[in-house]
Amino acid sequence: MARVPIIRVGDILLATIQEDLHDSDALAMQEALTTQLERTGARGVLLDFTTVQTVDSFLGRMLNDVVAAIRLLGATTVVVGIQPAVAVTLVELGLELKGIQTALDAERGMRLLGMGIDTNRRHR
Amino acid sequence: MKDQERSATQLIEEQRATINELQTPVIEVWDGILALPIVGSVDTARAQDMNERLLDRIIQTRSEIVILDITAVPVVDTAVAKHLLETVSSARLLGAEVLIVGLSSKTAMTLVHLGLDLGGVITRTTLAKGLELAFERLGLRVVASESSRDGRQS
Repeated sequence: MARVPIIRVGDILLATIQEDLHDSDALAMQEALTTQLERTGARGVLLDFTTVQTVDSFLGRMLNDVVAAIRLLGATTVVVGIQPAVAVTLVELGLELKGIQTALDAERGMRLLGMGIDTNRRHR
Repeated sequence: MKDQERSATQLIEEQRATINELQTPVIEVWDGILALPIVGSVDTARAQDMNERLLDRIIQTRSEIVILDITAVPVVDTAVAKHLLETVSSARLLGAEVLIVGLSSKTAMTLVHLGLDLGGVITRTTLAKGLELAFERLGLRVVASESSRDGRQS
């Protein structure tokens, strides 16, 4: 079983990427996400990177690939919680995730996917 | 003699640290809006330092919009543009939108001649225009108060 749990919330699949994800786990997640997407017909995927402190080129490329595949399956991806060090590494690797929506945290990511929790305050 | 040398080196180091601090203030101009006024030339070390501070502040303040003000950057060449674009990309990865403001006509022409169109980056000529756009993105509007409006009419 992959180390990345994929949770379905309404029309959205939520995947929380754990720290030090091995290459095989990353591939398993990629597989699981796309098959679940095909099965459930979800229209959005939220990838949570909050706990990830380091990325390598493999994980970066995998991320690009999985987002491209999700797009082909007709769903939108929002990547949330990328840490500063991870962002710098991705940019240095030339993997700028162009065309991918990003948000600071899961709450805002959900709002981008049209699943916003109705709070009166916009911030905090 | 050695001591003097050492204290001089120490002084230079301290001053360099102070200059570095002064060079890159990240200002929270509004709830959710950060501004980074860049003064002087941008080299790799400075760009990295600036980028790190900015990214940390984005997380800290949970800001959605970052305004990079390059009014006081004398020359924007390929290297500077590359640094700016890296900052834009990394801030975007965190979920913040970056606006570059303070472009002069000279800078704009230089960028075009260098073949750098800053593709996809929103740019404005002044900080005020950038701030206006930032407010718009956050669903805010600046209106004159009643009293000042009356004052202007009379």
